Amino acid sequence: MLDGLFLFGHSIANFATPTTILYALGASLVGLIIGGLPGLTATMGVALMTTLTIALPPATALLILICTYVGAIYGGSRSAILLNIPGTPASAASCLDGYALARQGLAGRAMGIATSGSILGTWIGMIALALFTPVLGEMALKFGAYEFFWLAVFGVVISGNLTGNDPLKGWIAGFFGLFVAAIGQEGMYAYDRFTFGIHDLSGGISLIPALVGAFGFAEVLTVIKDRPPKFVINTFDTVIPRLQDVLKYWRTIIRSGLIGTGIGIVPGVGEDVAAWSSYAAARRASKEKEKFGKGSVEGLMAAETGDNACIPGAVIPVLTLAVPGSAPAAVLLAAMLIHGVQPGPLIMVQNPQFVYDVVAMMLFASICILIYGLTLTKLMVKILQVPQTLVMPVIFVLCAVGSFAIASRFFDIYVMLAFGIIGFFLRQLNYPMAPLVLGIVLGDLLDKNLRRGLTLSDGDLSPFFTRPISLALFCLVAGTILMNVPAVTNAVSRIWTSATGSLRGKSSGGA
Amino acid sequence: MEDQKPTPFADLLSGCLWLALAISIVIGSWTMDRLEHLKVSTYTAPGVVPGLLGIAIAIMGILLIVRSLRAGALAQMQIPALNPLEHWRLLTALALCLAFSLGLLGSGLPFWLAAAIFIAVFVFIFQFEDRKRAGTILRGAAVAIVFALICGGTIHYIFQELFLVRLP
Repeated sequence: MLDGLFLFGHSIANFATPTTILYALGASLVGLIIGGLPGLTATMGVALMTTLTIALPPATALLILICTYVGAIYGGSRSAILLNIPGTPASAASCLDGYALARQGLAGRAMGIATSGSILGTWIGMIALALFTPVLGEMALKFGAYEFFWLAVFGVVISGNLTGNDPLKGWIAGFFGLFVAAIGQEGMYAYDRFTFGIHDLSGGISLIPALVGAFGFAEVLTVIKDRPPKFVINTFDTVIPRLQDVLKYWRTIIRSGLIGTGIGIVPGVGEDVAAWSSYAAARRASKEKEKFGKGSVEGLMAAETGDNACIPGAVIPVLTLAVPGSAPAAVLLAAMLIHGVQPGPLIMVQNPQFVYDVVAMMLFASICILIYGLTLTKLMVKILQVPQTLVMPVIFVLCAVGSFAIASRFFDIYVMLAFGIIGFFLRQLNYPMAPLVLGIVLGDLLDKNLRRGLTLSDGDLSPFFTRPISLALFCLVAGTILMNVPAVTNAVSRIWTSATGSLRGKSSGGA
Repeated sequence: MEDQKPTPFADLLSGCLWLALAISIVIGSWTMDRLEHLKVSTYTAPGVVPGLLGIAIAIMGILLIVRSLRAGALAQMQIPALNPLEHWRLLTALALCLAFSLGLLGSGLPFWLAAAIFIAVFVFIFQFEDRKRAGTILRGAAVAIVFALICGGTIHYIFQELFLVRLP
């Protein structure tokens, strides 16, 4: 514990230089603007900033990316409150009560609630990041090939199940992502798979260009295809967060922070699910249920705390297992690898300082959003009024630059274009993007560990089902799939009803 | 941002496409070199994983087809009338983006100029209707050009000069 505090203090001291603070402030502002502008997502923002920071030292680059990530998730609340349009999918739950408060002339108070919820959410997640990463890192050391294989499958299955509203399509997108990762030279014998003689494909499909295409170019096409509606911005009162709102709803804040962090840890699920889950839990537990959707302070606080708490949560599996907890965290993982940081089970052994560096980065990001939350309201309102016809071509230019910058090759621009077009059509057909991204990230893990496991067991499949962690992960995968089969859910609910009915019967008989 | 539910017929079509892709993957994996001359174990042959993924996608594709058929995909079967005028915004944006990426970039033009040309044309075209209605077409063109030059120059400066990132 004391070692951790010492390392954390060391990290803060390292980052407390004028240049680093300037980078943190700049990146948080960029994140805030990206998150605030409808149509631009945190994933795209972090991906574009990855390419911009490629020449910077790793710690500075990652600080910029984390500040962008936190800023973007927070920034989404601005457009949710002022325009009733979620700036990022994570802010969709904030529209319900945030906009309702704005309609009552309380937009400033709503923004204050969003600021306090986001900061407290980030801090709860940050504490969990500091406490659980060493524990999970130690657990991860017990993972072998069989466990990593199931972890990759679990990530894709759970992400497909929880993101979007059609699990079957989520799984298809996830498995397609796993296949995309198999294109190019495989890791064991350097054999070219599905390259069709195209030399550039031998290196595989790079994650950043694919992500920039799926989240950037596809978004440009999605936004521009319809005439943008005319925005009406509500007037606002003071944006200074009220201590009374925080004290009154402290239980909601802690609950939402824990839910957000927990959902962040689950691979590939992300901030939108965290916000909705926190919102739903707050509503269930609330004494003011009737206010939800009509301008509930508690509802807005829950959604904003949940989505920001998800960010540090999503970084925990990145650091301990090299498995991202959300789509923007997938970009963070890619950025770490680009900058030579090797996350995974050995991180607490080889580079424990880095874990606390990330915690310190989260703290810096939360301070930056506090500063902007209190000061930049008028500027944000002006930015929200910039027409999308001006923003979208600039975003596309950045997509092209970002794809090229990683390896300085035009092939990556073609990858971005291909994924943008595929991503656009998949979105139109209601296929979620997060499992696709997670599939691309986890493909290599699945490939190597399935083949390694089969070699170790000489083709015997039993270790995949008999080792304790493997069995637990397999049960989670099977359970997740089966709970989407109507016959199974009906049978489970019948058994549950009869079991609880007989228990009630016994207890009433006993009484 | 709202998810629109596609029709069962659209699901049927996408299910068929996934199935076709999955079958191609399985065939490609099955016919892939198993590296027997290197005495590679069957379990580590390069085609094992993509083959299994192909089978999984095929199963899910079939499930999607069955589900869409049960939802009455065949009863609603109709080829959508593709009227390019209805989709002019999408098609124009796509054409401009492709022209910029595949034509302007790498053509020898300096990056800032290529970016400025793309941005100016994009802004002018998509603001044209509103500008025409307001009678400010010339002003719109001037705004588009100035905005595009500022953006092209700023992107060039930030990436190439400030952060030392190579531009296309």
